[in-house]
Amino acid sequence: MIEVQNVSKSFNGTQILKNVSTVFEEGKVNCIIGRSGSGKTVLMKSIVGLHEVDEGKILFHGRNYTDMKDKQRKEIRKEIGMVFQSGALFDSETLEDNVMFPLRMFSDMSEEECRERANFCLKRVEVINKNKLFPAEISGGMQKRVAIARAIALKPKYLLCDEPNSGLDPITSIVIDELLHGIVKEYNITAIVNTHDMNSVMEIADKIIFIYQGQKWWEGSKEEIWSTDNKELNDLIFASPLTKKIKQYI
Amino acid sequence: MQNYFRMKFFYHLGRYVLLMKKAIGRPDGKKMFLRNIGKEIVAVGYESVGIVALISFFMGGVMAMQFAINMENPILPQYLVGLGTRDVVILEFSSLVIALILAGKVGSNIASEIGTMRITQQIDALDIMGVNSANYLILPKVLAGAVCFPVLCCLSIITGIAGGWIIGDVTGLVPSGQFVLGLTFLFQPFYVVFTNIKMFLFGILITSISSYYGYYVKGGSLQVGHASTTAVVVSSVVVLLFDLVLTTIL
Ligand SMILES: Nc1ncnc2c1ncn2[C@@H]1O[C@H](COP(=O)(O)OP(=O)(O)OP(=O)(O)O)[C@@H](O)[C@H]1O
Ligand SMILES: [Mg+2]
Repeated sequence: MIEVQNVSKSFNGTQILKNVSTVFEEGKVNCIIGRSGSGKTVLMKSIVGLHEVDEGKILFHGRNYTDMKDKQRKEIRKEIGMVFQSGALFDSETLEDNVMFPLRMFSDMSEEECRERANFCLKRVEVINKNKLFPAEISGGMQKRVAIARAIALKPKYLLCDEPNSGLDPITSIVIDELLHGIVKEYNITAIVNTHDMNSVMEIADKIIFIYQGQKWWEGSKEEIWSTDNKELNDLIFASPLTKKIKQYI
Repeated sequence: MQNYFRMKFFYHLGRYVLLMKKAIGRPDGKKMFLRNIGKEIVAVGYESVGIVALISFFMGGVMAMQFAINMENPILPQYLVGLGTRDVVILEFSSLVIALILAGKVGSNIASEIGTMRITQQIDALDIMGVNSANYLILPKVLAGAVCFPVLCCLSIITGIAGGWIIGDVTGLVPSGQFVLGLTFLFQPFYVVFTNIKMFLFGILITSISSYYGYYVKGGSLQVGHASTTAVVVSSVVVLLFDLVLTTIL
């Protein structure tokens, strides 16, 4: 469980996050939705401490992460898996070495066991027979999947994914969604997923948080989202002709 | 104006010292650390062998020729050419000049490598995993610099003197016997120790300063290029200053 309490964050005098509070529950996929530039990535980076918040607190299972020293944070960070919007794979390492990286760093597994685990994770994300390639040699969607494999290698308690399926075709996108949903349920992970893909939200979200201009504008379940009368949220989910059509039938 | 520069100087110095403090410490994952040191020794040391040997050989040769040609006074014995070449190569050429060349080669390499990792969020990814990114990226480079620079210095002394000897002999300007006599005449072994101490320091300075400029890159690939130029300029200036200071005190 991750609690966000009254978090605000500004850059050079421009306030990006305004007093955001919410709870991300354990064993659930929590989706953060919102338009491009609304502050989703900033919120996610503030949660993990890549941005220091100006005000407010972040708690990981009740542990006050915001006031911790680097040493204590490190222990929590080992429990976090994160997938960046850009993938952020290490370009100088092969895909296999990328996934083995956290295992070699922090587990006491032997080299063989690390490799086995890495292969298992790569299979899990359906990247097969590409172990010895470098990140620059595979497609963008594949890089995302390898990034997910790296994030789950150490069986994290918390998994944060920044737009895991942007830039993927609809079929691969569903594969990723199912994968995320599967691992979250299997290992009882607290997952936070940033996305503006409504298909994927409807597929996997247990809880939805809507960010509008840096504020938490709405939160609820995917059943509730259809019947909300929140204007900005409606504008977002019924932006495309397809969803507009669907709306007529519900 | 003066104040501005003074402020900037202390800002960079302070941040540099803090970064180095973060970089020094017990690394996570012994295996990975050893692997990285090996990698860096190849990148910093092994890959510089060619250029150091080539430049030293020819500079040694040219130096011997210049000494021989400019010493037209028949009172001066020919072995002075050997002595002069030896002292110049050992005292300044093998350390200062080679360090400046390596600042260009190794420094720009390190700054752009770390800078690219910064802008593609690979350093963020390391931090999120709970890895001390400064320690992981910078320490192996600095250690490799500290080890490899003195070795390259010895290589430069040997090839530089060999260059003077061989080219002096081939061109017929200095007879081989006279050159060797000069080499051993009033030889002070401390000079070799001194120059190696300098190179050891230069190795640490160049690798750490370049790492510093790479680590704090903000922006995109343009800024990476800029950081790598700054790294070369600043480390060259610092090397020159330290050379002056060390020569005065030792
Ligand atoms: N490091 C930073 N420095 C200054 N401003 C920033 C920084 N990071 C983000 N911003 C600003 O914060 C705002 C929100 O950015 P953010 O990346 O969170 O958007 P987002 O919701 O993730 O959008 P997208 O869906 O396109 O990824 C933007 O206006 C951006 O300019
Ligand atoms: Mg984003």
